[in-house]
Amino acid sequence: MKHFKETLYDAVCQEYRIDKMYFESKTSHQHLMIFHNAQLGRVMTLDGIVQTTEADEFIYHEMLAHVPMLAHGNAKRILIIGGGDGGMLREVVKHPIDHVTQVEIDQSVVDMAIEFLPKHSNGAYQDPRLNLVIDDGFNFVKNFANSGEAKFDVIISDSTDPIGPGEVLFTDDFYQYAKQCLADDGVMVTQNGVPFFQADELQNTQQRMSSLYSDMRFYCAPVPSYYGGFMTFAWGTDNTGASAPELSVLQQRFSALGIKTRYYNPAIHGASFALPQYVIDSLTPSTDNIENGQ
Amino acid sequence: MSALDNRPLLTLESVDQPEQQLAHYQQLLKQHGSPLLVFDANVLRNKFESLQKALPGVDLYYAVKAHPDSHIVSVIDALGGGFDIASAGEMDLLLKHKISGRRTIHTHPIKKDQEIRDALRFGATTFVVDNLYELKKLVNYRSRIGVLLRVSFRSESAKVDLSKKFGCSPDEVIELVSAAEKLGIHIKGLSFHVGSQVDNAAKHVEAVHACHSLMEQINLSADKPLSVLDIGGGFPADYALAGFDIQTFCAPIRDALSALPSDWHIIAEPGRYLIAPAVTSITTVAGKSHRNGFVWYYLDDGIYGSYSGQLFDHAVYPLQVFRGGEKHASIIAGPTCDSIDVVAENILMPSLEIGDLIVGHQMGAYTAATKTRFNSLPDAKLIVENL
Repeated sequence: MKHFKETLYDAVCQEYRIDKMYFESKTSHQHLMIFHNAQLGRVMTLDGIVQTTEADEFIYHEMLAHVPMLAHGNAKRILIIGGGDGGMLREVVKHPIDHVTQVEIDQSVVDMAIEFLPKHSNGAYQDPRLNLVIDDGFNFVKNFANSGEAKFDVIISDSTDPIGPGEVLFTDDFYQYAKQCLADDGVMVTQNGVPFFQADELQNTQQRMSSLYSDMRFYCAPVPSYYGGFMTFAWGTDNTGASAPELSVLQQRFSALGIKTRYYNPAIHGASFALPQYVIDSLTPSTDNIENGQ
Repeated sequence: MSALDNRPLLTLESVDQPEQQLAHYQQLLKQHGSPLLVFDANVLRNKFESLQKALPGVDLYYAVKAHPDSHIVSVIDALGGGFDIASAGEMDLLLKHKISGRRTIHTHPIKKDQEIRDALRFGATTFVVDNLYELKKLVNYRSRIGVLLRVSFRSESAKVDLSKKFGCSPDEVIELVSAAEKLGIHIKGLSFHVGSQVDNAAKHVEAVHACHSLMEQINLSADKPLSVLDIGGGFPADYALAGFDIQTFCAPIRDALSALPSDWHIIAEPGRYLIAPAVTSITTVAGKSHRNGFVWYYLDDGIYGSYSGQLFDHAVYPLQVFRGGEKHASIIAGPTCDSIDVVAENILMPSLEIGDLIVGHQMGAYTAATKTRFNSLPDAKLIVENL
């Protein structure tokens, strides 16, 4: 294959030239590739869908890590579900945390990412504060919820799409168990697709999370390789103070952290919770759709 | 007594240079054992190109079910063809060849939710439905897919009726398209299957005309226009060895298609026409006896194996033997214990000896695909030539 054509939608697709294939594995029902593209650097695809590219992964990882971490202000214990490429971990360990647990379903994804996408983890898998658990994310939160262990201040669900290996991470039960793993003032965030093309995903998440958290909302950032404009991230917390901190507070926390970012800054943080009108509208669908199909 | 089996039978007298053919088959048996199926990739290439010429502008999607074999898939892949798939097993076969789901259409009208999800993971985005229950199953996936609505047009001449079990009536089309629109599902076009192995293209032509007018009518008011017409299969194999000409067969279909708007996408799902002539069966006479006035020959392959299509597919394959002379009423039976395992009953043929070969022609479609493992007999091995 000299070109990669995404299979996410029927009527449109993005096509990437494959300049050099680094890794390809085909197991039953699963097709993983890591290849080089002149424009985007190394690209990882799973089952015909772009997962991450070196050129724009910073937008996704910075926004899914730094927004909840800096909003919380004192996040010490972090849980990452998924995120085998290591990019999320890389951003999380830049914070003065005590502990991070990452739950990845497949050790080989971690090994493969360290070898073929080294810039994503950038050594973060060596961090002594990391507890890497190879398990199904659903099993993990289910078992942890009743374990009596110290809960997490921030939970980041860095999953694949709702169809595929990550599908249990889009179920009611997963969200309920995850909430039980979260400290009272904790924040949970999840990747939530590109609503321009995937409005249903936004509505499904809203239904699942809004009953669990006193404050449930979305924020967004455009990730070019997730074709279709803004990507949304779901935000759930009972800590209403975390949702809209003062800009000056964020600025203070961010400068105290002393890290360089390429997308995140305190102004973007606040602004990312402002949603385009089409996204707001798709959260309140007209009811004459699904139920009244006939 | 059963009627005379009058299928084409090639003997020493009816073929040029049978010695060369025989030597070739014997060499294959010596090398690979018996029974065999021999796939000649050049024949498939030739048929694919002929059908492309006969239906210019029509995208061909090989019906993988006709013969789900890795070598066959690789030839179609190299020719740039698409694939008509209907199961997870067929998707796995394509995945082995790294064939993108974008080059497939999932044509099974009835699907379990897990099958839809598997197909989406594989990368298929075109699905076929023929009723409202099936449409509703697709609601969760509506942002990702385009749907073809299968319409039923039955051909009286089809040897295999594919419109009895699936397909909505043309009267239901407008209602279903509108129901889909309300469900947020995009029906991107219509599909039909007049049946397999039809004598002529009259039903194709009627169906093209009917779909054309339905689509035009819908497009007057639809939010999203219909622009795909899937004309299915039905293109026959030449089981009669009568010199079937695909150009002539397709001429009326070409005429009917030429009336369609030029920006519509026309696709077809040929299986039998492409692969039937590309595969030849070679069996060996394992035993012989004289019973009830017939000469019985017992082969090492039969109805439960490569000849399963005689039962499931209603096909009658032309046979070839490498003997000549006086013909006797004979019965050719397969290797299993079952009385149904008879390839040809009351066929007139020259006298054969144990160890002789019997060759079956046009045996690529719905042959190995429907074989069983009854009696735990070994399968005919598929040998590939000219890959």
